[in-house]
Amino acid sequence: MANAVLTEARREADAGDDAAARTAHRNRTRLGMLFWLPLAWLALVILLAALAPFLGLAAPDAIDWANIKTPPGTEHWLGTDVLGRDVLSRIIYGARVSLAVGFAAPAIGIAAGLMLGISAGYYKGWLDDIIGIAIDTWLAVPGLVILLLFSVIFGGSLLMVCVSLGLLFIPSAARITRAATLNFATREFVVAARGMGASDARILAREIFPNIIWPLVAFMLVDVPIAIVAEGALSFLGLSVKSPTASWGGLIAEGREHLQQAPHISLIPTLVMFLTVLSFNLVGDAVRRRLADVRESAI
Amino acid sequence: MRYLVRRAQRLVIVLLAVTLFTFLLVNVLPGDVAYEIAGTEATPETVAAIRKSLGLDRPVLVRYFEWLGGILTGDWGKSLKSSEPVWQAIMARFPVSFELMLIAQTMALMLALPLGIISAYRAGRRPDKVIGTLAFMSVSMPAFMFAILLIFLFALKLEWLPATGYEPLSKGLWANLKPMILPALSFALVEWTILMRTLRAEMISVLQEDYISLARAKGLGDGRILLAHALRPSSFSMMTLLGLQVGRLIGGAIIIEEIFGIPGVGRLLIGAVYGRDFVVIQGCVTFIAIAFVLVNFLVDIAYSLLDPRVRVSGAAHG
Amino acid sequence: MESLVPAPLLQVIDQHTAFVTSRGLLKAVDGVSLRLERRSTLGIVGESGSGKSILARSIMRLLPPSAVIGDSSRIVLDGHELGSLSERDLRRVRGRRMAIVFQNPMMSLNPVLTIGTQIGETLTHHLRLAKAVARQRSHDLLVAVGLPQPDVRIDQYPHQLSGGMRQRVAIAIALACEPALLIADEPTTALDVTVQAEILDLLQRLQRERDMAMILITHDLGVVAGRTDEVAVMYAGRIVEQAPTRALFRNARMPYTRALLASIPRLDDAGHSRLATIEGRPPDLIHAPRGCSFQPRCPRASDRCVREAPALTRSDGHACACWHPVSGEVRA
Repeated sequence: MANAVLTEARREADAGDDAAARTAHRNRTRLGMLFWLPLAWLALVILLAALAPFLGLAAPDAIDWANIKTPPGTEHWLGTDVLGRDVLSRIIYGARVSLAVGFAAPAIGIAAGLMLGISAGYYKGWLDDIIGIAIDTWLAVPGLVILLLFSVIFGGSLLMVCVSLGLLFIPSAARITRAATLNFATREFVVAARGMGASDARILAREIFPNIIWPLVAFMLVDVPIAIVAEGALSFLGLSVKSPTASWGGLIAEGREHLQQAPHISLIPTLVMFLTVLSFNLVGDAVRRRLADVRESAI
Repeated sequence: MRYLVRRAQRLVIVLLAVTLFTFLLVNVLPGDVAYEIAGTEATPETVAAIRKSLGLDRPVLVRYFEWLGGILTGDWGKSLKSSEPVWQAIMARFPVSFELMLIAQTMALMLALPLGIISAYRAGRRPDKVIGTLAFMSVSMPAFMFAILLIFLFALKLEWLPATGYEPLSKGLWANLKPMILPALSFALVEWTILMRTLRAEMISVLQEDYISLARAKGLGDGRILLAHALRPSSFSMMTLLGLQVGRLIGGAIIIEEIFGIPGVGRLLIGAVYGRDFVVIQGCVTFIAIAFVLVNFLVDIAYSLLDPRVRVSGAAHG
Repeated sequence: MESLVPAPLLQVIDQHTAFVTSRGLLKAVDGVSLRLERRSTLGIVGESGSGKSILARSIMRLLPPSAVIGDSSRIVLDGHELGSLSERDLRRVRGRRMAIVFQNPMMSLNPVLTIGTQIGETLTHHLRLAKAVARQRSHDLLVAVGLPQPDVRIDQYPHQLSGGMRQRVAIAIALACEPALLIADEPTTALDVTVQAEILDLLQRLQRERDMAMILITHDLGVVAGRTDEVAVMYAGRIVEQAPTRALFRNARMPYTRALLASIPRLDDAGHSRLATIEGRPPDLIHAPRGCSFQPRCPRASDRCVREAPALTRSDGHACACWHPVSGEVRA
């Protein structure tokens, strides 16, 4: 919109148009620092979480009345919480919960959504209608409320959290799968396969499934950080895994009363969770753009 | 017109399904309500007596229709703990949640509008990238984490705003708004991103339209073009999204109300969850679900009425 | 010597406009020079992709940020170098000294603003008129462009008007501040055939009444016949022929122009005779051939045409860029 921009563009163009334009386009979709740094953080978190019992950490539930609310120092690297428990240790053990839920819940949701979506899209008819109504009803109630109900009814355990969160991911996975299935089921190669006597299962597995894998992978990338945040919210309310099991949301909640004197109890888990979710988002974003680019050039 | 009727029919079906679902969920429990009330020492006879008095010994479907009838006539039951009528309890708290929602959405708009316009105007350049980065980071931080940080910064360190509490309007406008600022802000900091992104996307495509070129050809300044010419055609999706978010929050924002001690419907619900007061839980969940479904339905209708494409084709046929 | 001849209203000097794309530099306007005298009409004719619309936008300085303008390109309007003006000063020129009417009035009018607002804001902005005065002027403009029921229409929205009426509104908008130059970019292409002649007649009448110069851009040679003083034919971003209108129609020299003339269906053609078309495909503007850009499709092409691009040579007011111009009159 200004002459200055034109001069700028002029300079860019003078510097060897064709090659420059192409490189610029490629740079936008390259996997740069914004991919490797967060990936490194995630690798660190996952590694620490997986190896937690072997790291020689203080027990996450070891109460120490003599050393409550101590700030980060040499003996307790990240300080202690309101009961004298080691914050670093609790964060690492909390990571186990968050990551477990973060991966398991979307996996459950997508797997279930996949089956529902494919059935609805492939067989159509009344099965499609029923599944459609069920999904609409499911979506009609705000998610957190459903999670609350489940935790009240079924108690707070890791399994319950994974399953109930997983249920929240079903509708969108089902919708996408159904749309993709509807799209492909009528295509010629499927009809041809049927004509050659292939059974339904075989068709589903070999013809339709490979075509829906990409949107689902993209989905998964988005859902993991959402699941981690949701679990954080639940455990913040005390409705996820029960104390004394450490969970990030729970840690933040425990420190809430003591923000004035001992902010580290809440703020450090907040920072860790933020970095982890941000890292998942960054990695997911970079991968998604790369995938889209690959697919475009493949065509 | 036919479209409206069909949507209304769907609405009724979904509402019925939601109430049934809620009822079943709360009443198909491994733990029996009667046991909760009776306590651990109770004899089987006491439990049975309580069950009978609560009408729990009758078949599920009968209880459902009875309860549904009660809902429609305004009898939502009484709290197991306080015996307060559930409907009264919800109605007393609804205005508070509503006010919080209003303030939160206004704040979100105040953030999303200018930032969205700037991002679209300078798409691909530094301001856009900076705003995009901010949005990305905002999305990675849920509302309750914003709440903790805001409390830490503004209430404890700077002591500008209170951390908890609520004052009704009768105590004065500022007194009423002051404790609502931090909780509303916690929300706004999350909600603004999706509003901003939607506005940005639509405005970028609007800015390429011929009528914007013509406005520039008329020699009008960029400011006037953005605000008077480009903003209205670009805000359609954003306003729809805003409507949907209203639906989500209108039933009370559970975690935020809990953190900040705002006596809204969400706080009522979580209190009932902790206290295992199933009648209140049922009432709150039903209320929240119905409010959500109704608002979504209204947004849907408004969308179909306002969307120029739908309107134009409607006019062509009708 | 310059002072004896009145300065032209508009001078386009060696205009190069290109776009940076992922596949390379797209040269939309590739060295165009023009003069336009006051009160005269120039027709610019070409296929889509010939660069005529980009040329119009280059003159108005309405290019998107990805556009690149050549260093030697200059546009002089009424003695002012447009290239040296700041954006603020350019805005004072746009709409006030030069105005444009776009092709599709459904898209060039803002759907959420009333007709009155869209005309009035030009007046309030440039001439600082009060709202009431601007409204009165807008009303008068609507009368001048022949819009029926102007009192009602002034408060209506574009979608409530027909295509022809909308284009009249667009013309009213363009004329509001009495510009010296009006550019009409395919003003009738999107309209019904019955309305096209009306709009073209309207433009001609208004031009005479208001002493304006006009550039009429179209892909249809029939539009410029009888309505322009001079015609320039564009192909692949360059002017390939330019002459006073009658001379062009009678004595087109460039094979491309002849082909265009031949492809206009005529009333006295035998019934069901085939429409003459031009063979081949439009040129690639990114990787332009070294020689003449029309050569791949030209029935008269020779080796020279492949090797060298012909320059625009002028003889008695008739310019042509061709190694093998056609001579002899066209069938009248």
